[in-house]
Amino acid sequence: MLKICDLTVAYSVAPVLHSVNLEVPEGKIVALLGANGAGKSTTLKAVSGLIRAHSGRIEFCGQLISGKRPDEIVKLGLAHVPEGRLVFPGLSVFENLKIGSYTRRYSPNQLKVHMDKVYELFPRLAERCTQLAGTMSGGEQQMLAIGRAMMSEPKLLMLDEPSLGLAPVVIDTIMDKITEINKHGTTVLLIEQNAELALAISHYAYVLSVGEVVLSGESEAVAEDKSILEAYLGGEQ
Amino acid sequence: MKKVKTLLHKYILLVIGFILLILPLFTSQYEFYVVERGVQNAIQVLGLLILIGYSGMMSLGSAALLATGSYTYGILLVKLGISPWLGALLAIIITTLIGTLLAFPSFRLAGPFLVVTTVGFGEIVRILLLNLESLTGGAYGLEGYENLFADSRLVYAFMVVTLLLVAVGTQRISNSKLGLALKSIRQDEVAAEIMGVDVRRAKMVSFALSAMLAGLSGVFLANLTGYMSPDSFTSAESTTYLLMVVMGGMNSVVGAIISSIVITALPEFLRFLSSSRLLVYSLVLLIYLRVHWVKSSRPSCAGVAKKLKINIGNNKSGRGGGNG
Repeated sequence: MLKICDLTVAYSVAPVLHSVNLEVPEGKIVALLGANGAGKSTTLKAVSGLIRAHSGRIEFCGQLISGKRPDEIVKLGLAHVPEGRLVFPGLSVFENLKIGSYTRRYSPNQLKVHMDKVYELFPRLAERCTQLAGTMSGGEQQMLAIGRAMMSEPKLLMLDEPSLGLAPVVIDTIMDKITEINKHGTTVLLIEQNAELALAISHYAYVLSVGEVVLSGESEAVAEDKSILEAYLGGEQ
Repeated sequence: MKKVKTLLHKYILLVIGFILLILPLFTSQYEFYVVERGVQNAIQVLGLLILIGYSGMMSLGSAALLATGSYTYGILLVKLGISPWLGALLAIIITTLIGTLLAFPSFRLAGPFLVVTTVGFGEIVRILLLNLESLTGGAYGLEGYENLFADSRLVYAFMVVTLLLVAVGTQRISNSKLGLALKSIRQDEVAAEIMGVDVRRAKMVSFALSAMLAGLSGVFLANLTGYMSPDSFTSAESTTYLLMVVMGGMNSVVGAIISSIVITALPEFLRFLSSSRLLVYSLVLLIYLRVHWVKSSRPSCAGVAKKLKINIGNNKSGRGGGNG
């Protein structure tokens, strides 16, 4: 579904990614792991068009998307839940969700159907629909960020560290929801620093280190390879 | 009683329009002029409401766009002798185009940097008006053009009707998809981009709409005064317009209209204080802001309305919440 070939990205002159190759098959959860500064977020930003690739190709559903504008990419069915959630703090939960469907021309009825779907996934959001997003807890904001992305009915959902700064209990809920979203047919690309969590719910995993893919394979296999995980992710001692 | 309130809420714009239309029956010639200026300012301020309030792009060059509208109208009529209506149309179009060009710096600049750019634009226009003497009349100003209607009362009525239409339009934008896009840009540009908002296009539309209303307001200004000079378009005027938007609550159409008219009239009401009048004027504004700085970061005329329990405009996004 998503295919990244030889992606190289540089911020001004400092290269961040060196010819990264990555593939996300339809219907699966793929985890992209790595330590701080490995280039995980950069990869995601390049895919969603927020930053320009220096060279390389990014294909989505057989269509070349590198070089396209972010709004064109969203229209194709690719949703990005950014690092740190980036909900609109001064807008209500309802308005946040509405912006999520910005690229879709929903009728009021369709809008309601999609919103109900999100509320069903995260009942907490339904309770808080008139509340300003900025006044909610971190976990609720993360739910909102995911719900907002789901409003565009994406084929591929990309999540940038959804566990960031959340309590362990909340992280478990979020991970369960990601699995649930995937079961309903949305492909997921999940970025995580917490390798254990990500490997537990994903089918395939890639490990990035200093801008290069150093390891990839089925999540179970990757999880078993403790030595490599320790070397690159500083796994359990 | 509740019924009255909901009715008032629904038809508040009509009520305002009605009051404005019958006001000339009770005012002196001079007071009438002040009201006229208030209505004309309100049209300009609704444009700024879209730009500053909805989209969060601060501009201190609004007087320059007002000048562009006024002068284009004046020059076209005086130098080319075309009809007032065609002149008005062309003035609005040209102002819109120039205002849209102002959006380009905003693609890369934000906050204080954008403000400085707009101030620069304002100064450029003012200096051009002063120095292109053969075209603009320079410091002597420009006069001797026809008005849209010969009867100034007709011009006023037309202006009030226009204000109401613009107000309804601005209100609609707030609730529309475009309004949502603009609000999302104000909150977080990166997040808006990720949601698929074409940030550049939205910014251009915002600047264009705001400039269009400035042009419209400029044409009316030319009609009201019958004379224009660079002195009427200084950066102090831009600051006053900014004040009107801020006092209006930055997200309420009705608030913007009321604050425009009140702030236009306030210095005249205070005239009996003679030299200390500007001091009192500033104090009144400061006290007002202090009193109505309710909870949220958005002070407003909407605050007064809230006290009166009238829900004006869509203040859903600006305030409320707080139970987190």
